[in-house]
Order: sequence, then structure tokens, then C-alpha cells
Amino acid sequence: MTEILQVVFDALSLGSLYALGALGIALIFGVMRLVNFAHGDTMAFCVFAMLWPSVDAAAIVFAGNLPAWLLIPFILAVGAGLSVLSEIIVFRRFRNTNPATMMIASFALGFVIRYFLLMLYSSRPKSIDLWSNLGLPVEILGARIPLLQVITIVTAIAILIALTFFLKRTRFGLEMRAAAENFTMARMLGVRANRVIMLAFALSGMLAAAVALILVTQTGTADIQMGGNIMLIAFIATVIGGLGSLPGAVFAGFLIGAIATVMQVVLPPEARPFRDAFVYAAVIATLIWRPNGIFMPKSAKQRV
Amino acid sequence: MTLWHKLGMGMAVSGLVLSATLAHADDDKIVVGFATAASGFMQAYDKPAQDAAMIKIDEINKAGGLLGKQIEVVTADTKTDRAEGAKAGLEVIDKGADLVVVSCDYDFGSPAALAAESAGKISFFLCAESIKAGIQGVGPHSFSASVLAPVQGATMAEWAYNKKNARKFYRLLDTWTEYNKGICDGFDWMLPRLKDAKLVGEDTFKNEDASIAAQITRIKSLPEQPDAIMLCSMMPGVVSAIKQIRAAGITAPILNGSGVDGSYWLSAVPDLSNFFTPVQGSIYGDDPNKDVTAFNAKYKEVTGADPSSQYVYPGYVMIDVWAKAVERAKSTDADAVVAELEKMKDEPTLFGPRSFSSEIHHQNRGRYLIVETDKGKPRVIDEWTISEAIPVDYLVSK
Repeated sequence: MTEILQVVFDALSLGSLYALGALGIALIFGVMRLVNFAHGDTMAFCVFAMLWPSVDAAAIVFAGNLPAWLLIPFILAVGAGLSVLSEIIVFRRFRNTNPATMMIASFALGFVIRYFLLMLYSSRPKSIDLWSNLGLPVEILGARIPLLQVITIVTAIAILIALTFFLKRTRFGLEMRAAAENFTMARMLGVRANRVIMLAFALSGMLAAAVALILVTQTGTADIQMGGNIMLIAFIATVIGGLGSLPGAVFAGFLIGAIATVMQVVLPPEARPFRDAFVYAAVIATLIWRPNGIFMPKSAKQRV
Repeated sequence: MTLWHKLGMGMAVSGLVLSATLAHADDDKIVVGFATAASGFMQAYDKPAQDAAMIKIDEINKAGGLLGKQIEVVTADTKTDRAEGAKAGLEVIDKGADLVVVSCDYDFGSPAALAAESAGKISFFLCAESIKAGIQGVGPHSFSASVLAPVQGATMAEWAYNKKNARKFYRLLDTWTEYNKGICDGFDWMLPRLKDAKLVGEDTFKNEDASIAAQITRIKSLPEQPDAIMLCSMMPGVVSAIKQIRAAGITAPILNGSGVDGSYWLSAVPDLSNFFTPVQGSIYGDDPNKDVTAFNAKYKEVTGADPSSQYVYPGYVMIDVWAKAVERAKSTDADAVVAELEKMKDEPTLFGPRSFSSEIHHQNRGRYLIVETDKGKPRVIDEWTISEAIPVDYLVSK
């Protein structure tokens, strides 16, 4: 029983990370039909923002030494700032182009961010110890769970609740949902496009920062390529959740986390190196079953 | 005749003149060509070993040179790109390289090494640890300056068995690279040779996995905890794996390959204890050979920083063994130098003995220092040479 509970926690904590990542992508896709592939590099940027630029092997921790109550808002601000900046400098100029062009632009932007980090910090992964006391295990119903896992899950749920509240109960949220539903119509009805899009980018950047904080606490590592894997899985989650659907992205994020964890547990040792092949096979099966994703947003209907 | 043709001919003529002077110049100097990464992500791995190689070249030049000639260095940047790697190889050969030094990693170094091979030149991988970095993957003129990854896994298994009384092993493989797999291959080869030692469980993960919680749950649900965990992984995922294993309260000794040497990452896992790695020489100032500590000081003087890991050392060893072979062959002719290199059997170097043969241009056995990290402080506690060399057939079959 405790073993099953342990697996449930493992799956939930991994799923939380994927869900937060997927949400960051779905938010922007919702308002401007852009799949932002620079999202993963934004995460890496947020991690490196804790370090002083140097190409030495040992990291020089700078902002990372701030107390948590300062560090968390700082990193969230870095994520939001970079994300908004990329909208102002890059994506705004592509707003009327087709989605494929925007996607290529986001790839390019991702490379620019990554190589900027490479220039400042070199390619060597750096180590940083952030809140290591969160690694201590706590006992829940007989299972020993690292505190960080619990915090990851609680944080993810808290962010999801806050975001739902924001989208459903505030004027900005209403505008954003309206824009996601039908952008042209929303604009005609007085929703200011730039403001809504910038807000979406700011929120998405903050989500990237949140993922970055969790990742770095868990792994203790800053690597210029660290956002890549989460970005890929988050993107897949937004697709199987139904592109543009926020609840869909979150649900699919948790789903992929659960599938990956369960596969790791049940597959025989010989098949385990190919775990991801099984995970992606499940993704393909889902897409065959529901080509538009599990939660197809209403807005997608006329577009297909 | 158009202007372009005239220009072209003029350039061809001046080219002939130039190459004639180059050929003449070749007689009073020996050229070492570095077709390595001076930019891109491999730069961080190539540069330290290359700096060490330059120190050895400098020492030789100051002592009167090689065969009475000064060694000159030429370089070309591979830009951490395989296609550029082949071009960089050709470029240093065009500049007259007698020895072509290529990138640390097999995949990134082999294009330049293959270019050298087809030009009939000797190539040396700075620190590749795959059997392919040599005869098997490039050709009869190719060598690697490091020790095979499987030797590291085998060393740790045999050492832990003898010195830590480990009988129950757990094997955790990061499937990302051939290097990781190589460590576990060496471990797999050694384990059946250790009486009463057994594998109590095994698992895999991927270097980029955000969490290895499921793998840790499997270790914790074992009926009895292992005496040692053979972790076959490398940067950056290895740090995350170690951090998560220790955070879950698993205190068993963790063994790994040389890829985790260095104290630069230890801040991520404060007070890490019971962690063991094999190294060719110590960067911690406690090498049993005082000359290694002197080399570290020299390295710091030249580059401005201490060696960050043992992967600095193979660069020095490379120039050392090659120069000795050139002296013995009394020529830089590739075939003659290869023949001398292949005669080396336990040739002493600053960082342990080196052997080459016509079968293998790599080390399938080697002396390793064992570094223990205790409360976040790494230090040399022992040294170990595996009781028998890992057979070439086994290495190739993997």
C-alpha cells in the first residue's frame, strides 16, 4: 500500500512539473496561436539568473543567495520580463504571419537565448544548492516522501487554483479567455490586443520561472540545455490536451507524468531504457483516438 | 583568358612557392595540429586537456626540442560541429601537422581523426573513453590518451568488493551516452569474477529526466539495501541523481566513473559522503606522486586556474607518449611512430602506466587512484589496478 502511495506521489510530482510547463505554452497559444519553443530556454535563463556570469567550472552563486521571499519574486520577475521582452522585440512583428512562421521565429529566439547563456556561462553544467533542506523526507500515511515533492505538488495546485481564479473572476482574465476563444471578435468588442498578449506572455514567463525554481531545487544543476526536455513534453501535453485548452494542458501534463512513472515501475529492466518510446506510443494512441486532443477547445472547431 | 583565370593562375603559382617554403620549413620543426573545439559546447571539455598538452610541448621545447627540432603548434576550430571537425582535420594537415589532436569525445573527434587517417597521419583523441576511439573506430594510426570507460566500472566494482566488502550491488544506468554504458559494461564484466558478489537490482534513467523518483522508490522497496550502488552516469544528470538518492535517505556507497571528478559540483549536494570515483591523478593536492601536485601548480600558473577535473591530465600524457615514440623512432613518420607506440608496455607517465599494442590503442587496464568524498570533501584514499585487463573481444562486442 505504501509502495502504491509512493508511486502516486512520484507521478504527481513529475506531472506537476509537466503541467506547469504545458500551461505556459497553452496560455500563449490560446491568445496568439503561437507555439513558443523558446519557453524551455526561458526556464534555463531563469535558472542562470541566480548565478553570476563566469565561464569557470564552479558556479558563482549571486542572486541565488537571496532569502526565499526575495528570490522567488525576483526569479518570477526575470521570467516574466524576458517573456514580455521577447513578445515586444520578436513576436509582435510576426503577429499577422502564419503560425508556422511564428513557430520558426520562436525556435530562433530559443537558440539566441541559449547561445547568449553559452557565451556568458560556458557549456559546462553548473551546480547550485538551493534550499537543500527541502530534500528531507516527510512521512505521509507511511510513505516517506521528499518534502520537495510535496511542495511541488502543492505549489502546482496552488498556481492552478490562482490562475483559474484569475481567469474566471477578473477583468483581465475575462479578456484573456475572450481573446483565446475568438481573438478578432474580442478585439472588436474592445479587448486591447497588446495588453492581453503581454499579460499572457508575463504569466507564461512566470510559469517558466516556477518550473525553473522547482527543477533547480530538485536537480541542483544549471545547464544551458535544461529546458529542452520539459519543453518537449510540455508541448506534447498541450497537443494531447487539445491545443489552446488550458484545463486540457494541465490534465495532459499530469497524464504524461503518470504514464512515465508507471512505465518506469512496470516495465522489465530490458525494456526500461526504451521507456519514452512506450510513453510516446501512448501519446500516439491518444491522438488517434482524439485527433484534436482530449479537451478540444470550441475555438479549434472552425479552424479545422 | 579572363581576369579571374589570370588571378587564379597567379594564386596557384604563389601557392606553389608558398608550399615549397613550407616543405622546406618542415625540415627544422615538428608540427602538432589541434583540430579541437575552440567554440561551442565541446570547448569546455577540449580546452583544459589542450592546455595540459601545451605545457608538455613547452617543456619539450625548453629542453631542446624533439629530435633536435622545436615543436610548433597549429590549430583549427571544429566549432563543436562534426562537419567542421572534418574540415579542421584537413586544415591542420595542410598546415603540416605530424600529429593531429582531435576532440575529447569520439563522436565529435572522429571526423578529424578520419581525415588524419586517410592522410596517413597519427591522430590522438584528447580524452575519449570508447574503444572506438582508436583502431576499431578510426584506423591503425589512431589513439586515445585516456583510459577506457569500462575500466572505470570494473575498477570500482573490484575495489569496492575488496576494500568495502561490498557483495550486494545495485546498478543504475543513465542511458544517455556510450560513456555511461561503457562504465556499466566494465562493471558487468567484473561482477561475475567476484566470488559471492551479486546484483540485487538494476534500473535505468535518462540524464535529462527531471525526476528519478520512480527509480529511487525501486531501490527503497528492495527487501535488503545494497552494499554499493554502481551509478553509470555523467554531468549534468548525475548530480541530480546523486542529490535525489541522498535526499531520499539512501546512504549506501555510490560508485561512479571519472566523469564526476572535480569539486565544482559538490555544492549541489552539501555534505555528500560515501561517494567514490576513480581518477588518473588527483586535482586535490594529495596525489601520492609529488610531481602531479607540481604539475597542478604549473597548470594554474599557465591558465590562471586549478585543474577542474582529472580530464586535464590525458592531454599531458598524450604528448608525453607520442614524443617518446618519436624519439625512439628517430622520425615523425606515422608508421614508424605507431610501431614504437605499440611497443609500449606499462610505459611510466605522470598519471600512471600506459600500454598500446597492435590490437588496441587504448587502455583496457590502468592504475586508478580512488577518491572518496566525505562530508563534501574529496580526497585520495587508495589506488587500484584491476586484476586482469578487459579483453578486447568483450569491449568490441559491447
